[in-house]
Amino acid sequence: MTVLFDTNGTTSENKIMTGKEDGHIDHASPQATPPHANVNPDALEIAPGTAHERLEGWIPELASDDELRGALEKAFDYRGDVSITRKDGTKVEGYVFDRRAAASLKDSVVRLYPKNSNEKVAVSYAEIAALAFSGRDTAAGKSWEAWMKKYAEKKAAGEKDLSLHPEPLE
Amino acid sequence: MPVPVSQMWTVASYVLGQKLAGRKQYPLVLMLEPLFRCNLACAGCGKIQYPAHILKKDLSPEDCFRAVEECGAPMVSIPGGEPLMHPRIGEIIEGLVARKKYIYLCTNALLLKEKIDLFKPSKYLTFSVHLDGQREEHDLAVCREGGYDIAVDAVKEALRRGFRVTTNTTLFDGANPKSVRAFFDEMMELGVEGMMLSPGYSYDKAPDQKHFLGRAKTRRMFRAILSNRKSSWRFNLSPLFLEFLMGKKTYPCTPWGMPTYNVFGWQKPCYLLQDGYADTFAEMLATTEWSNYGTESGNPACANCMVHSGYEASAVNATFSSLSGFLATVKGTLFSSYPDKEALRLLEEPVAAVHPLVQIEGAESRSLQETGA
Repeated sequence: MTVLFDTNGTTSENKIMTGKEDGHIDHASPQATPPHANVNPDALEIAPGTAHERLEGWIPELASDDELRGALEKAFDYRGDVSITRKDGTKVEGYVFDRRAAASLKDSVVRLYPKNSNEKVAVSYAEIAALAFSGRDTAAGKSWEAWMKKYAEKKAAGEKDLSLHPEPLE
Repeated sequence: MPVPVSQMWTVASYVLGQKLAGRKQYPLVLMLEPLFRCNLACAGCGKIQYPAHILKKDLSPEDCFRAVEECGAPMVSIPGGEPLMHPRIGEIIEGLVARKKYIYLCTNALLLKEKIDLFKPSKYLTFSVHLDGQREEHDLAVCREGGYDIAVDAVKEALRRGFRVTTNTTLFDGANPKSVRAFFDEMMELGVEGMMLSPGYSYDKAPDQKHFLGRAKTRRMFRAILSNRKSSWRFNLSPLFLEFLMGKKTYPCTPWGMPTYNVFGWQKPCYLLQDGYADTFAEMLATTEWSNYGTESGNPACANCMVHSGYEASAVNATFSSLSGFLATVKGTLFSSYPDKEALRLLEEPVAAVHPLVQIEGAESRSLQETGA
């Protein structure tokens, strides 16, 4: 069971996302285009923020090269761990911090820090059989509204320490 | 205490040396992030959203020294995360001082008093204390009540021990220009060497996605704040960068001017954007598609950016690129009052209370009454 957070900090429960339901935004869709993309930046009063995709729990289909490349681009942008299963059956779970896309899948690599290692690992796109957004999205559920809600709750409860602290490192 | 002449000379001779060597892309300040973890969870910060195993990673002192030598910049800024949480920060600073790098250790100062014995006063070391305004504004910005008082107490202790101390301030929509000016008075009274300030970058992973300043509002806000300047205020920034913020100058971005090294490697293309990593500084310079970045590139991720890490290097470059640039810098240094009636009018404009917490606390009116700004 995966707990999902939306940008307002509310939660819902879902089993596993396919990526195509529950508010998922395709990167190629007009919704994914930043709202100020066609505006003169010098005229902007407030810079529109980013609406986040909810990717936690997503297991993308990797039937075509384009799907694989698109999914790895999202994995690079994702602030949680992902699981990569290689075609030889081995699996690596960790944080994707880099991707280097080239003309062929063989020459393209994704680089990650495995969860339990200090050694960076590079995996060729051509080796990848499956991908899952298995780790918690650490950027989700921390909207301004969520922070305001927590603040108001603490204040209403008469707490003296009206502060938000970083999450403990599990 | 002003910036030491030796520092100004080191930076000026370095930049001139790069120019004489015909280098188009040279680093001015290395942004060395020895860790990502922090003891604050600020709403506008996009730096700490990582899985726990990444937040637990530290650069070793040897990693830091290798990066500093590879890069060659005369100044090293150490942000994070909170660098005072690094278990070997004392060794890192000692090694950088030995290499005669001018270091700005950026800290929220919550741990400064506790850790201060790890450091020795040096002209090479400055504590750059993160303070986002007067007490209530700062505490709200960093989501920590009492944070301002702890930081100011630590600043006093550092100054008492003979350390160089500056402040660094990030402003978001809803900042009150009058309160910011009153904050400058407070900091000068405290005795800090100078102040750094910048509009916040619109991190797409930051919790608060609603209060990033657009360029038009940034210019208006900084015009109100920085015009009719008091002679007592000292800024640790290029005068031309301040003019850029006020809308008096335009520059293209210099993303390679303040390159970033952290636990992932050399960050492409700049301190704020993460578009991949290189294993060496030379590789980062050679493989980044620089034309894809900067507001002028049309990249939406760069659209509203007027941040010091991209544009202060542009301003410094302008100083050393032409006689007119040099004279403009001299003029901005000697005649820094920038009288402006329109800016005075802007100061009197009511500030839209877009910062909901300020509404809750009524901080705006109280802070102004207290300071008479």
